[in-house]
Formats: sequence, C-alpha cells, structure tokens
Amino acid sequence: MKQRRIIAAVGFALVASVVAAACGGSSGDGSEDGTPTKGGTIHILSNGEQIAHLDPQRNYTGDDLAFAGSTMHRTLTSYAYAQGDEGSGIVPDLATDTGTFNDDATVWSFTLRDGGTFEDGAEITCADVAYGVSRTWASDVITDGPTYASSYIDAGDYPGPYKATAEQQAAYDKAVSCDGKTITFNLKVPVADFNYTTTLLAFSPVPKAADTGEKYDLKPVSSGPYKIESYTIGKSLVLVRNENWSQDSDPVRSANPDSFVYEFGLDEAVMDERMIKDAGDDQFAVSAGIQPENLPTIFDDDAFKDRRVDEYDPFVTYTNLNVKNLSCVEVRKAIYLALDREALRKAGGGPYTGDFADGFIKPALALDYKKSTMPDGLNVDGTANVEAAQAAMTAAETACPEVATRAKDGLSFYRPATPVWDKAVAIWIDSLGKVGIKLKDEPVEPSVYWPTVMNPETNYDIARGGWAPDWANASTVIPELFTTSGGFNLTRNADDPDYAEFQTKVDAAKKELDRVKQGVMWQELNQYVVDRLWALPGTFTKVQAIWGSKVGNAYQWAPFGAYNYGDLYVKS
Amino acid sequence: MFMFIVRRVFFALVLLLAVSFFTYMLFALLPSDPAALTCGKNCKPDVIAANRIRLGYDKSLMEQYWLFLKGIFAGRDYGAGAAAFSCGAPSLGYSFGQHECVTTLIAQTFPVTVYLSIGAFVLWMLIGISTGAVAALHKGKWQDRAASIFTSIGVSLPTFYIGLLVLFSVVIWLGILPFPSYESPFENFPTFLRTMILPWSVLAVLSAASYTRLTRNGMLEAMNEDFVRLGVAKGLTTRIVLRRYVMRQALVPIVTIAGLDFAGLLGGAIITESVFSLPGMGKMSIRAVVESDLPVLVGTTMVAAVFIVVANVIVDIAYGYLDPRVRVK
Amino acid sequence: MSQDVVLSVQNLTVVFHTPDGDVVAVNDVSFDLRRGETLGIVGESGSGKSVTASSILRLNNSNTATTTGSIIVSGVDVLTAQDSEVRRIRGSEVAMIFQDPLSALNPYYTVGKQIAEAYLVHHPRASKADARGVTLDMLKKVGIPSPEKRIDEFPHQFSGGMRQRIVIAIALINNPKVLIADEPTTALDVTVQAQILDLMKDLQSEFNMAIVLITHDLGVIAETALDVLVMYGGRIVEKSTVEALFSEPTHPYSWGLLGAVTSLGTSDRGELVAIAGSPPSLISLPAGCSFNPRCAYALDICSAQVPLLRSVGTQGSVTACHLPNNEILTFGRKAASR
Repeated sequence: MKQRRIIAAVGFALVASVVAAACGGSSGDGSEDGTPTKGGTIHILSNGEQIAHLDPQRNYTGDDLAFAGSTMHRTLTSYAYAQGDEGSGIVPDLATDTGTFNDDATVWSFTLRDGGTFEDGAEITCADVAYGVSRTWASDVITDGPTYASSYIDAGDYPGPYKATAEQQAAYDKAVSCDGKTITFNLKVPVADFNYTTTLLAFSPVPKAADTGEKYDLKPVSSGPYKIESYTIGKSLVLVRNENWSQDSDPVRSANPDSFVYEFGLDEAVMDERMIKDAGDDQFAVSAGIQPENLPTIFDDDAFKDRRVDEYDPFVTYTNLNVKNLSCVEVRKAIYLALDREALRKAGGGPYTGDFADGFIKPALALDYKKSTMPDGLNVDGTANVEAAQAAMTAAETACPEVATRAKDGLSFYRPATPVWDKAVAIWIDSLGKVGIKLKDEPVEPSVYWPTVMNPETNYDIARGGWAPDWANASTVIPELFTTSGGFNLTRNADDPDYAEFQTKVDAAKKELDRVKQGVMWQELNQYVVDRLWALPGTFTKVQAIWGSKVGNAYQWAPFGAYNYGDLYVKS
Repeated sequence: MFMFIVRRVFFALVLLLAVSFFTYMLFALLPSDPAALTCGKNCKPDVIAANRIRLGYDKSLMEQYWLFLKGIFAGRDYGAGAAAFSCGAPSLGYSFGQHECVTTLIAQTFPVTVYLSIGAFVLWMLIGISTGAVAALHKGKWQDRAASIFTSIGVSLPTFYIGLLVLFSVVIWLGILPFPSYESPFENFPTFLRTMILPWSVLAVLSAASYTRLTRNGMLEAMNEDFVRLGVAKGLTTRIVLRRYVMRQALVPIVTIAGLDFAGLLGGAIITESVFSLPGMGKMSIRAVVESDLPVLVGTTMVAAVFIVVANVIVDIAYGYLDPRVRVK
Repeated sequence: MSQDVVLSVQNLTVVFHTPDGDVVAVNDVSFDLRRGETLGIVGESGSGKSVTASSILRLNNSNTATTTGSIIVSGVDVLTAQDSEVRRIRGSEVAMIFQDPLSALNPYYTVGKQIAEAYLVHHPRASKADARGVTLDMLKKVGIPSPEKRIDEFPHQFSGGMRQRIVIAIALINNPKVLIADEPTTALDVTVQAQILDLMKDLQSEFNMAIVLITHDLGVIAETALDVLVMYGGRIVEKSTVEALFSEPTHPYSWGLLGAVTSLGTSDRGELVAIAGSPPSLISLPAGCSFNPRCAYALDICSAQVPLLRSVGTQGSVTACHLPNNEILTFGRKAASR
C-alpha cells in the first residue's frame, strides 16, 4: 500500500480556504450584490470561426479550456471558481480530494466521487477517465493537445486505444489502473504538482462507445452541467443544460444560465460596437479583446467602468539569447540596457498591451512570484539606458573580446515576418545600433517560425519567445524554458558555466512536495535567470475585455486569462 | 447544336482538371507550412513531422493530387483502425481543421452564398437597368448626370468600406435593423430577410453602377441604329420601339455579362460575407487561405471554377439564342 | 393645292443645335409631290437631302433640332400634328426606306415578323394569320424566292439586295401614298441596283405611289425620276425636269455634277472633271451663295447676297443663281453636251 502524505499545513489551509470559497458560491465581480441568479442565455461573441478543439484531449488553448472545462468537461481536479489569485488554487472536481501520492510523488491516486454522470445519464466510471487519458497516446488522431499524460506516464510503446494490441493495452492498463472508483497513475518521473496537471481537460472522462476519433471534436460527450445542442462552424455553438448533471456531485460549478450561445465569424469592429452599444441580447453577451482604436472609448469613459477589465493574462513575452554564441553576460546586459522597450511597447500598441516584465513568472502565480531585482541601470520606465549599455559593452571588450566583436559585426535576429514585427525589428536595430551592436534581420514565415528556431541547426543569436504556464505552477515555466530537457528552451544555455548548478536547483524544486517551499525555490530560480540574462524579460501582457451590462461574474480567470464562462450568470 | 454543347462540356471538364491541378501546384509554392499551423504550444519539430504525415503532406505532390482525383469518383478513406472514417464520393477531401468532409462543408456554406448572390443579382439588375434606361432617355439632363455620379461612386468605392459604413449607420447609429445574424430562410424567414437586406443592398448598389453605364451606353448606341429609325418610321409607339428595338439590342451584352458576374459571385462574395458575418463559401475559402487548409481551398476553388465554366457555357449558348446572327448551325 | 398633290413641303427649315453652334441643315426647302410621280433629290453629303427626307416623317430629334415650315400630307401638317397623328401617317400614308439594307432590319426578329408588325400597327384588328398572309403576298411581290420558307428566317440570312427588297416590302405593305427612298441603292452593287430600281418602278405603277428618291447618283435619277431637286448647302439650287437637267442644266453646281458623270455612250475618253473644292461646312457657310467659293463663274454679288429661286428657260426650270438667264442657258447647254 502506498503511504499517504498530507500537504504541508499552510498549503492545505490555502487549498481548504479556496475550497470553502468555491463551495459557498462565487464571490461575484465586486460591483453589486453578487448573488447569482439562475436562468437566461449568455452570448459569447467571437471573431473566430470555430472553437479550435472541443475534444477534451485536444483542447490546449487557454480560452477554450476555460470555456469547455467550466461547461462540459469535468476533470479530476479543477481550478477554484474565484476571482483574482484565488482562482489559481486547485480544488477537487470529479475526485473526492486533490489526490494522494507516495513518497517521491511517482504514484498518484484519486477516488471518484459519487453521482458524476454523462449527458446521457450514464455514470462516470474510473474506466471512462482512464480511457479519456489513454487517447492522448493516439497522437496521429488526437493532435494538438497537451502531451503531459504520455510524457509522465510510462506505458511502454502504447500507441493509443485505436491501434493497440492486447499486450499494449495491458501495458497501459497497468500504468493507469482502476480499482473500483480509484484511479492510480504510475509516473515515470516524480511530479510534485501532478494534481495541477490533472486540471487539464486531457484528464477528462470519455465514454469509449461514444468515441468518434477525429470527429469527436465536433460533438464530445459532456460530463458537465451543459451539453451541445448544435454546433455549426462559422455560425454558432449552442449549449443547453445537461439534465443529467447533478449539482450534488459537482462542488465546483454553479451552472446559473440556462444556455450559452457562442457566436462565430463576427467582424471585430462590429463586435466592439455591439458591446459598446449594449442593446438587446448584447446585454447578456461577453466578448474578449477590444480593437486598439476603441480602447480609449471604453477605458476613458466611466460609463463602462462596471463592465470592462484591463488585467494580466497568463502570457509573458521575452527574448531568447543564444547563450552559446553570446557567452558573455556583459554583452547580454548591454543588449538589454540598450533596448528601448518603451518604444517597442508603443509600436505594439502602447500600455494596454502590457507592463514591463521583471522575469518569467507573473504575479498570478502568487506562490511562485516575487518581484525580481533587475540588472543595474535598467530603466523602470522601459527607455534605453545608453550610457549603462555602453559601459557594459566596454566591459565586454575586456572580458570577452571575441563575443564583443561578434556583436559589433552582426547578430542574427530571427523573428516572424509580420507587419507588427517589421516595426519592432526596426526599433531593435536602432536601439542596439546606438551602442555599436549590429543586428541582421532574419524574417521567418510565421507558420514555420517555431520549427525553424527550434531546429538545433538554425544558428540564431536572438529569437523571440512567449510562454504561459500550462497550469498554475512555475514548474511549467522555468524547467520548460531554461533546462536542456525543457520543451521550449531556446537559450542554448547548456554550456553556460552556471548551468550545472541551475539544473540541480531545478531538479530539487521539481521534487519539492511542500508547495509553499517549492514556490520560494521557483522565485529564486527566476531571479537566477534574470541575473544571468539567458533571456531578456519582455512584457507581462494584458488583456482587455468588455461585457454586457446584465452579465454577472465576468471576471478574468487567473489560470487562463479568459472568462470563467461557466461561472457567468444573467442578472435579472 | 448538340455537338456544340458536347464540345463545350468536354473542354469545361478539361479546364476544371487544369484548375484543380494548378491549385495544388500553387499551394505547394506557398511559403507557409500547413502542418505547423495548428501547432499550438507543443510545437516541436517531431510533432510537426507527425502532423504532416497525418495531413498527408508527406506524400509527393503528384501522389496527393492523384488521391484527390480518385476521391472525387470513389470517395476517400482516412485514418486507421478504430479511428478510421471516410468521405463518400464525390469527395473533395477532408478538412482536419473543421473535422468535416469538404463536400459537406461546401454543401453547408454554399446555400448562403447562393441566397446572397441571387438577391443581390436581382436587385442590381433592376437598379442598374432602370437607372441606365432613365439616363439614356434623358441624355444630357439632370437624370443622366445623376446616373453618372452614381456610376462613378459605385464603381470606385470598395465593398469593405461601404459595407461597414452601411452596417454602422443602419444598425448602430439609426438602429433600424438588428445586427445581422444569419438564419436559413426555411427555419426563420423574418430573421433571414432582416439579415440579408443589408448585404443585398450593398452588393446591389455597388454592382449596379456598371450596369447603369452598360445599359445607358447600350441604349444610346441602339437608338442611333438604322433599324430603330425604321421602327419609328413604321409608326410604332415609342414604348414598343424601346422594348422591341432598343432594349432588345442593349440587353444582349448586358445579359451575358450579368451571367458571368453572377457566376463569379457564386464563388463567394468574400468581403460582403465577412463584414455581415454570413457563413458562406467566400468566408470559408478566405479562412482556408489563412489557415492553409488545402482540401477546403481546393474544394472551394473547384466549385467556384465550376460556376464560372458552366456560366460561360450557358452564356455562349444564350448568346446564340439572344442574337440570331451568332447562332450555331 | 391641286387634287393630286399628295405631299406638300413649304419653307422647310431644320436647324441643329450643336455644342459648336447652330447648323442650318435645311434652308427654306419647298416642293410639291403629285400622286404617282417620282421626285429626285440630288446633292452631295451634307447638302441637306437626307434631313429633308427624315423631316417628312418627323424623324428628327426634337431635342437637338428645330424644324419650321410645314409638311402637309393628307391634309395634316406633320410638323405640328399630334404624336398619334404622326404615328398614323408613318408607315401607312408615307413610308420610308433607308440607305443601308444591312442595318435597316431588326436583327432579332424574323423578317416575317417585321413585315407583319408594319401591317398590324395600322390594322390592329387584323389577326396574326391575316398579317402572315399579307406578308407572304408582299414577299412574293418584292421577288423573294420561296417565301413560305424564308418568311421565318432572320435578316442576316439574306443578301443585301434581298434585304432591301424586304425593306421595300415593309414600306409598301400598307399601300402608302408616298414612298421616301433615301439612297436605296447606294449600298448595293450595280446589277442589284438595277433590279431594285425596276422593282420600285413596278410597284409604283401598281400602287400608284409617289416616290421621293434621294440620291447622289445622277444615273439613278436619269433612270427613274420625273422631276429633280438639286440641293447644295441645305438649299435648293435648281428645280427642273429630268430632261431639262440633262439638256439644259441651270446652275453652276449642276454643270459640275454633269461634268463629273460619265456615261457609257459618250465617245470621248474625257476625264472626269471633279468640282474643285469640297462641300461647305454647314456651321460656317460661305456668305452669299454657298457655292460661290467653288464656282468658276462667280460674280462679286455672289459672295454678298443669297440668290433666290427664279424661273429660267422654257422647260420650267427654276434656279438660284445670280448669273443672267442667257448666260445660264448657254453654259448649261455646253455642260450638257459634254
């Protein structure tokens, strides 16, 4: 039998308080009574033509995860349905608690609670959860989703449920096993925050008999309070109540509206006008994103103050430096100090686009975030500090003359070939030129940008980067971006003299079972990277949104940077 | 006449084949990588490679094209094992982005484009021909001048601008109509009408302009013809002369050009559909370009080409019917 | 007006208003036409002969032309009558055939329909069958072979000569009193020309029809006309019988015209003498007699005063020339003998 460990007292208290808050109903958006009413139809206005993926194992976009998870797809654990940083905490959803694990967090177990049902009334069993998870391995059909399940769980050469031989299926069933209502995951590596991983819809149950493979994306079976009534790509998606969902079995969701209508294919300028006008059904509508020219209209006028938001989303933008080529921190410092970040931000749309980042972890990850100490001389207002940069270059000429010369001869700057980046690269070239650093602009066709820079053969010096955590733990940020085993490390820092130490520290943090302690370790590691400028922190991006006057609980859900759609209600 | 039609149909088929072939070739020349476009956060090179295989782009272009051609007659199978599915003939491919057979997608979006085209067509012909006729009959006077201003405006203003302007003024500022939200005329006729009236009008007014000019000039030319004078000399009333002599001649090129214009519209009025949020074939094809969804792109291009080709054949036959001098023996 | 005058044109003047100024295309033209007679109108392009012809049926565009004078047909002044009156006259009392048969017919309808149309307009109570019968008769009369087959064919399926016959059929289907033929044979080749002229003569005697025959070809005039009007610069410069014109022409312009004609009969291989100069621009006509710049016999008065029509000779000729009568006759006979 596995030993059970209880999470450290403080962490548990935090989670418990969040659970209590969730059980007690949403906290509202703070501007009026905050008592949700049942009934009505919420409209979601969208410029897109469809939801990229409704198949829970293929859903990987923040907005879509927030939508589908809060309406149709329950998972073992969920984020708290709360505003602000509270929303980053996890609560049990289909599971009775937030999971139990063994000493080194390589074996995790969850017990399913009673009463969970699919839209046809069938009970949600452990086998359904196991089946849903197994679909991730069928990567030739189930594409585009997160692959944590298949990378954490050891199931041999299991090719997914569609093609597996009896033996392969048995191997999987051993790795993800069911015992009554308890599901056990055998991980190949220790994952201290696996119960955060299970918030991903990739761990949602799917009834095997209803699995239509490629086409499941159009009509997934719902385990949540709503089910699909109709889905016409380019036109609309209509959700109505799942009569077979019971509130008793679901401590997380309130399911206030009677239905949701997701409208596709709307022109962006028209959407803004509709939301500003707030007439008819648009009073029950939400929309994400506001055209730049309409931002002053909405944010300078107090008439909108109760139905607009200007907040951080989960994304951080930054610039990767090829540490192997630019092996000298003085040069990296010079680049950062010389860069006119304010001009870049202005060209990108101004302060509404975000704040200057002080690292790679955003405040929404409350436990992992601490304000970093930025390099000496870096201007808070984002403008260039040419003297400090010049001083850094001068120091570099002594400390690492070859690198300095290389910088003066020309550094290759790989960026997507888009009009926005055309403007940005001009500012880069100009800024760095002031301290004698030359840049060679290498525009890359946008759709092949990531494959190009991720190809080890491509010898860039500078490449852009942008990331959001896959769940509310910096374990999906720091290791991913800066370790050699990370999926998105473009810094090529393996040969940096400090790397070994960094790796050790990261390994320790990944294993730390005390969440609070772990958070402090991530804070330090963030500072570690900032001190060495393996990547240059860019922007904590923001999102602006406007919703109708009769929509309640229209908060931005911290883990996703999108509405908590399922928590919205129609004000009477 | 029968051989004429047979010949034209045969050449039309050859042309369609060429269109499909060139679409495939052009697509191959595009710089964007369709396998990388849905990549999301997991964008590692091996994921993209797997995606390429799944989408079928790992095969040679000729092989891809051959599979496509075969599919038109025999349907096409996708996937393997328990996840296999197929698109029945005539299969124009499968869109992995929209999880639907292209033929089905076209069947869904095409009616919207048809309704848009027909309504606009009827309106623009009515407006164009009547204003042109008025201008011709009052040559040099204010009606003629007004028509020529109308023509210049209609011909020079871009659809996007006028479309948005009309939408904003009628729906937002004046509040006369609700926001367009398409519904099938068989399901909700009032909403259908309310939604379509604006795009119909915008398209009609913009297209009518060139027909105003065509009608006016055609009529003025006809009125100078000897046979028209003879008609008057016979003692026929002005109305009959206008109808049987003047308009009869002026309408011949108008009808043929209109036929081709209408066919072009059936390929998808992209801008109008986008501005007024109509889920038609035009919007779908522009999306296919942006997302590099080759099957949809080829499918919609083929459908549009079919219409142009068919329209050309019909117009050729119609011309012979309309103008006896051109008739094929 | 005597009993058998079917068409009386009095002081017809047509002024076209163009952006460049007013053009007097027809200036004070008067003539009478008797039943069964043929009047020829001769002149160069721009002499006003076609405009005179089209004025008779009020075919000029009232927006751009001012027409004054009177044109009396069956007691009705065409120029001042109601539209419905004019339409009644057109195609039934007075019919017209135009110069170019290739463009005179509506290409979109069969010839049968077009002929029947002309009939039905003036016989509204006739049935389609009646009209078709009349059409067939007419086709036979104008000499179309296999009329039962060809009645349902389109104009482009006929040769130029055939089409002119059809135009004649349309014109004559309602037995008009007057046929205005504006250069009916100019676009046809010589052999067909003769056929058409013969046809016209036959039909004229059958229907006792008066013909106004407009042409620039003196040969045609010689063949068909009884009386001749010579027009120049919008005015009548000579009015005479055909014999008088060819034996004793009374205007320098006519002398020039005769000099420019060759006949197969003459023995001398003399050159065709073209009249020096070119037709006047109707916008800026020369002062006085419009012919004076080209006239070998011009006097000083000719560029000052417009000569009025006056009788000269014994053959009933009328001329508009300042030269004294005896000189006119002398020069005229000389010109005719060439």
